[in-house]
Amino acid sequence: MSNMLLEAKELHTYYGASHILHGIDFHIRQGEGIALMGRNGMGKSTLIKSMLGIVRPRHGRVLVRGDDFTKATTYRTAQQGIAYVPEGRGIFKSLTVRENLLMSARAGVDGQRNWTFDRVMETFPRLGERINNGGWQLSGGEQQMLTIGRALMTNPDLLILDEATEGLAPLIAMEIWRIVKEIRRTGIATMIVDKNHAAVTSICDRAMILVKGEVVFDGTSDEIRANPDLIQKHLGVGH
Amino acid sequence: MKKSLSIIHDEHRAIAAMMHALRQIVAGIEAGRLKPDFALFRDMVEYIDKVPERVHHPKEDQYLFARLRTRCVEAVPAIEALEAEHRIGDARIRAMEAAMQQYEQAGQAGFAGFKAAVNEYVEAEWKHMNREEHEVFPLAEKHLTDEDWAAIDAAFLSNENPWQGEAGQYQKLFSKIVNIAPAPVGLGPS
Repeated sequence: MSNMLLEAKELHTYYGASHILHGIDFHIRQGEGIALMGRNGMGKSTLIKSMLGIVRPRHGRVLVRGDDFTKATTYRTAQQGIAYVPEGRGIFKSLTVRENLLMSARAGVDGQRNWTFDRVMETFPRLGERINNGGWQLSGGEQQMLTIGRALMTNPDLLILDEATEGLAPLIAMEIWRIVKEIRRTGIATMIVDKNHAAVTSICDRAMILVKGEVVFDGTSDEIRANPDLIQKHLGVGH
Repeated sequence: MKKSLSIIHDEHRAIAAMMHALRQIVAGIEAGRLKPDFALFRDMVEYIDKVPERVHHPKEDQYLFARLRTRCVEAVPAIEALEAEHRIGDARIRAMEAAMQQYEQAGQAGFAGFKAAVNEYVEAEWKHMNREEHEVFPLAEKHLTDEDWAAIDAAFLSNENPWQGEAGQYQKLFSKIVNIAPAPVGLGPS
């Protein structure tokens, strides 16, 4: 039996007349960690949105556990154990921390309930201290932790983090990366989009670089770390 | 990149994050946005004392620099400079700790001394990490043999996560600092 969780085959996505993704092939297996990298506007978030049904690809196919989900609703894709932590966090600001978490709680695809409210509290003790605070009262770092906690409450097999540390101070970003590493160790597959290539390649086994909607590198994190020229060329940063 | 270098880079990022936070908090006090929190300062100084100084630097000296010394003459002056900095690291920490105590006792009159001690430590540590990352690690990658790296990686991995401490105490201390440092530097009240 294949352990493939999510695949994209020859994906072409457009925004109006703008051709954003040019035939992307992508896959992630159970338990795997993938760092998706590239400069701004290269198609990273569009790839995620195309696979989750938030944006419709014009050509190509999306498979979830081997089944065709190309035209599936986002809701149906999420029910397959795929949790998405979007850029900008998207918590319910009028709800308390507790309410934000509890409203997401559900069993995983195989009925597993490994991630309970109490376990999320243990993972993010800060949220425990703010449990009755409204979402609007949380700092950016706390909101990010709540968003990840909320995703875990769905007992996912795949966690997708899009710019999880964007705009956060280095100290908070380090703490979030530490927690993401812990989550990875539990066997949840993880797809991470982030500008901090050093942090994400230290967490993920695989790395992929997109340039203008095309995959220019798909290999191991070790390979990418050993190739500072590749990082300089495609990410525009020194190692 | 070799596993051991990857671990060192991870550790450098954590050290850099702590330095950045310390400086931002000092700047916030100077600008009148923050009040000094000496419990937080003590935790931060303890972290810097225990982790970079007692875990990170000795590991570099013992495994990486010791091997590189024998393989690359060109690296020796930089290694000697780094080892010397490692040796005086403790004195710099004690100076920062003394300045913090003076600030706590003297109040505002002690702020300038504390700020100077923090800046001195942070500048020295930045310079130190830069020298490692831009001078010594590239030479290590060029001159160390596969056998050297296997031994270095094994040494680093045998003590898999000294960064967290034997019972995870350093990681707990880091998380505690994140939780009490004032926002937006940390998650505490601003």
